[in-house]
Amino acid sequence: MNWQRVWRSLRAEFGRSPMAKLGVVLILAVFLMAIFAPFLATTNPKAQDLSRANEPPVGFTDTTEDTRLVDGERQTVTVTTRGTLEYPLGTNQLGQDMYSRLLYGARTSLLVGLLGTAIAALAGVSVGIVAGYYGGRVDDGLMRFADVMLAFPALVLAIALIGLLGPQPVDIPDPFVAAGLVSDMPETTVLPVTVTLVVALVNWVWFARVARGEALSVREKNYVKASRSLGASDWRLMLKHVLPNSLTPILVLATVQVAVIILLESALSFLGFSGTTLSWGFDISQGRDLLATSWWISTMPGLAIVVTVIGINLVGDWLRDALDPDIEGESGGGMG
Amino acid sequence: MRLTRFLLRRTAQGILVVWGVITLVFLLRFITPGSTIDFVAPLDASPELRQRLAEDLGLNKPIYVQYADYIVNLLQLDMGNSLLKGRPASDVIFARLPATLELAIAATIVAILFSIPLGVISATRRHQPVDYGATGFSLIGISTPNFWLGIMLILIVGVNLGWLPTSRRIIGFGPALELLVFEGRTIGIQVWFEHILLPSITLGTYFTALITRLTRNGMLEELGQSYVEVTRAKGLPETLVKYKHVLRNTMIPIITVLGLQMGTLIGGAVITESVFNWPGLGTLIIDAINSRDWPLIQGSLIVIGVGFVVINIVVDALYMYFNPQVTFE
Repeated sequence: MNWQRVWRSLRAEFGRSPMAKLGVVLILAVFLMAIFAPFLATTNPKAQDLSRANEPPVGFTDTTEDTRLVDGERQTVTVTTRGTLEYPLGTNQLGQDMYSRLLYGARTSLLVGLLGTAIAALAGVSVGIVAGYYGGRVDDGLMRFADVMLAFPALVLAIALIGLLGPQPVDIPDPFVAAGLVSDMPETTVLPVTVTLVVALVNWVWFARVARGEALSVREKNYVKASRSLGASDWRLMLKHVLPNSLTPILVLATVQVAVIILLESALSFLGFSGTTLSWGFDISQGRDLLATSWWISTMPGLAIVVTVIGINLVGDWLRDALDPDIEGESGGGMG
Repeated sequence: MRLTRFLLRRTAQGILVVWGVITLVFLLRFITPGSTIDFVAPLDASPELRQRLAEDLGLNKPIYVQYADYIVNLLQLDMGNSLLKGRPASDVIFARLPATLELAIAATIVAILFSIPLGVISATRRHQPVDYGATGFSLIGISTPNFWLGIMLILIVGVNLGWLPTSRRIIGFGPALELLVFEGRTIGIQVWFEHILLPSITLGTYFTALITRLTRNGMLEELGQSYVEVTRAKGLPETLVKYKHVLRNTMIPIITVLGLQMGTLIGGAVITESVFNWPGLGTLIIDAINSRDWPLIQGSLIVIGVGFVVINIVVDALYMYFNPQVTFE
């Protein structure tokens, strides 16, 4: 694998493509939001203020009718609420700040997206390389198992497993709060462990297929045959020759998978299976019953998901155009 | 002949996969914390009653006996009784199946209807406004979570404009069609259509976007091939070149990807149903999981798995039709 060449073609494609630049900017923005959420947030995203519930975003007004006692009589009054800069994206029914929740939601999405992809890639690539390298019965067995996994729609399997196993949330301490740099912010970020493992479990198969394909083709290359005849061990061959050759398509696949997993996580949170309340999907579900009165509660976190996933997809397109791997399931390819 | 042999082989493979699905689904109950009996028995049940219940449900037998029983019953289409509804799980599941099938088919129709023309136009008018529009739409389409899209459609079309109903199904396609054919009344079809429109757009958008993208990229690649020049040089009309020869070759990768994405369609149906209170398998499975109704959970998962395997066989057969060189060896 020639890293210099990879780097050069990445740079050339980046210079050519305005969409690649847009993608990188979007992703950087989301990453900065997620990392520095405690500094950027204006209010603790979990703090409730019921007297300020359902306030519209700044620049919008919201008119509701309310029944009040005026001079001992029931009267219907029209109440107009104006959005303020204090809550730039409005508040939800608990009076929580949507803007601060948006920032912290980015943490959950990226944590699950990156960690889930990493686990899926690690498991999938290991299985794929072993299957492709050894071939024969090992290959048959592993790939039939992969077929069974693929027969379950990912979301359905994920719902079943999480619904049955429970969310198992784990608190990760926030380094900025622990260091005393900010106060009044949540001390921990919740990692929904079951969600992370399950999204990895339902997505490892794609990595296994790509890695297996690469391993199959590399195995037959003369230099690999030569080093084998010189007595190189299987492990050494897999690590030194098969793995590096599979890295480009795996990198492209991993990028796309981060987007897939973020969408999957948001769907699971939307259904209430994730075990954390600081998640874009969860916030969307919160606004669902208030669509007629408070449209912003569902709208804002959804826009955040769309922008993030567009950014990742643009970066994915950039990598694919620059590195041009042939990935099954993404651009077509053989039927295995 | 070739197709028959292929279908036979593929069916044999499919049966193996279904067996794997059944086994996994069966094992799911044993990796779940909490015993099944706790969910079935009343809180104040005496040990004797619990014992009797366990015997009734066959829960105290060794796991391999339960497994064998389960397979034997399944072969007779017996999935056990739903713990909540007291009716055979298969009845409950098959009553819900038409709603999900209708939704999936409607979404596929939406996707094919819009995406292929859009992709073709986009590719043949490269770097024109219509191409940028189509590319932008497909990028946004594949990046939008469908449950959020559904909620936005409810907000705009249902709540703000008040044009369409935003939940439930009211009438199935079958009864609606009967009403039209036997009584000549169109109201059934109309109500059916009004209710399925938003859910099918919600479920279909991702696929519309994906296929638009694939059609555009595939067409662009094919248009650069030398055979296109040859057919043009032969004097064939440009439309025929584009739509018959180029599009046909473009279909091959599209069908492959569609086959691989069928899981996304089924998963998407689950969540779309939940957004629109659509009474299909998706809402059923979520209810069943929340109430630990094992026969229902297992039955729905198996039906979904079997459906997925069948769809994939159909997709492979289509693939073979469009690409006669494929041998599947």
